[in-house]
Amino acid sequence: MKFRGKIVDGACLNHFTRISNMIAKLAKTCTLRISPDKLNFILCDKLANGGVSMWCELEQENFFSEFQMEGFSAENNEIYLELTSENLSRALKTAQNARALKIKLTNKHFPCLTVSVELFSMSSSTRIATHDIPIKVIPRKLWKDLQEPMVPDPDVSIYLPVLKTMKSVVEKMKNISSHLVVEANRDGELNLKIETELVCVTTHFKDLGNPPLASESTSQDRNPEHMAEVHIDIRKLLQFLAGQQVNPTKALCNIVTNKMVHFHLLHEDVSLQYFIPALS
Amino acid sequence: MNENEHDTTLNLKCKLGMKSILPIFRCLNSLERNIEKCKIFTRSDKCKVVIQFFYRHGIKRTHNICFEESQPLQVIFDKNVCTNTLMIQPRLLADAIVLFTSSQEEVTLAVTPLNFCLKSSNEESMDLSNAVYSEMFVGSDDFDFFQIGMNTEITFCFKELKGILTFSEVTHAPISIYFDFPGKPLALSIDDMLVEANFILATLADEPSRASSPQSLCLSQKRKRSDLIKKKAGKNVTGQTLECISRKAAPRRIYPKETLTNISALENCGSPGMKRANGDISEVSESSVSNTEEVPGSRCLRKFSCMFFGAVSSDQQEHFNHPFDSLARASDSEEDMNNGRFSLS
Repeated sequence: MKFRGKIVDGACLNHFTRISNMIAKLAKTCTLRISPDKLNFILCDKLANGGVSMWCELEQENFFSEFQMEGFSAENNEIYLELTSENLSRALKTAQNARALKIKLTNKHFPCLTVSVELFSMSSSTRIATHDIPIKVIPRKLWKDLQEPMVPDPDVSIYLPVLKTMKSVVEKMKNISSHLVVEANRDGELNLKIETELVCVTTHFKDLGNPPLASESTSQDRNPEHMAEVHIDIRKLLQFLAGQQVNPTKALCNIVTNKMVHFHLLHEDVSLQYFIPALS
Repeated sequence: MNENEHDTTLNLKCKLGMKSILPIFRCLNSLERNIEKCKIFTRSDKCKVVIQFFYRHGIKRTHNICFEESQPLQVIFDKNVCTNTLMIQPRLLADAIVLFTSSQEEVTLAVTPLNFCLKSSNEESMDLSNAVYSEMFVGSDDFDFFQIGMNTEITFCFKELKGILTFSEVTHAPISIYFDFPGKPLALSIDDMLVEANFILATLADEPSRASSPQSLCLSQKRKRSDLIKKKAGKNVTGQTLECISRKAAPRRIYPKETLTNISALENCGSPGMKRANGDISEVSESSVSNTEEVPGSRCLRKFSCMFFGAVSSDQQEHFNHPFDSLARASDSEEDMNNGRFSLS
């Protein structure tokens, strides 16, 4: 298996660094899937993650000026690697004002992802910083658990308010209760509710707008003001919101009543999907 | 420090708690805006250092801080005879530091006549398969001064380096680095108009018999000397902070026998008070601080008050049965810490 890629554009490098920082905040360990056209950061819904799963996809063409990979085999031309996300984001920190970034799969004592950053220097000689990030290659038989999660038909689909506002609301709510109710309707209304013995707090977001639903049949027989709700662990939502340092280009949320909430964000051309299951 | 009133020169070596001083000088912005004058003097009768701030409208704020007299340790180390000397803007090194995580204890510096490399210590990255190995190459052109006598790789404490670089960003002077072979100390020197600081760090010795990864203990003692103030006001203001002391380690190995005789010569130099700790190390208290630049080979090493002890391999440890207090964490339990303590006062 081989992989080598090079990023030379400053804006692409910064974007890639931001994505990596976001992933580091969302998942301690994650899977990196490399395929001929895409890179994916994956977190599958194991109990260890609390049932949360994540699927982040980016088109390699939008970032890499050079990209070569050779997967497991001709039919399965993909590479699945497991790594500690923070290692990658820290290695990319040095790339802030870099001339070029090279990333490749190597085997030095143990398999590594080698990130090599060429920095600007005042003189003719260049400064090169290299990081060898240890990784684990994931065997072929485990690949099936790491596929793109199926998104069930949502009951309500709604655009999210400004994430920073949502985050500060959720942060305060966390101190009161760890059980949060997320509900939304087709009238552009989203509520975040917590309930304890002593107090109930609800934050209402209005006029958010709803994206057009795929299945038109269900929309006829449902009152648009009817709320679809799901009970989730507030800390998982907070972790998701904390990872969003930059406001996304597009953000929407799909609620499947009493099953899960699915967030779908678009950061320029990078798509992030985050699934939080309902509390049982 | 001097007594202002009587205009006599007294030499006072004392220690002040950082926790006491830091809050006084905390809000730099408000200090610069509101304070007209700051006066620092001692009251040795009460063992206090008095810091007075004179604000506008006649407001005066006074802080009294107790001090402890101390006899700082000195080490014999002449940076000017080191084979390898580098001078670099601290900003460039600070960029390199970003590479390493704070969990990294040691960092290795490797030089050849053409280039310079700062990298994760091999000891650590081999043990933990999860650790990221990082290295950064800096070309010799990026240095203000680059003189390498021999190819070397030395390993020393990362935390100390980080601290020193943070300190150096305040001054705008370049950092000079002096070193030799592994085991011999490494000196980092900053010489600004107002401040001169020298940090001596221990380096790991290159012993092939080393089984596990020893820890390098870095002990540094910072010292500031305000030349400008001295020239203008005719006063001599010095402060010293002794940060940490060694464990039993290699003074004997780092300093050849003849150095110990230098110490006795220093004793005759008229320096008041000297202690010998069971023959392992001598402690020489400083004589009056002079204004002059250090003369290479000078016996009275006034500029360096620092210490450091390199980690040693286990076979060397039986030589030393009198460990010092260790303020740095030693993870080897074979250190016999109960064999007596080295007193500084």
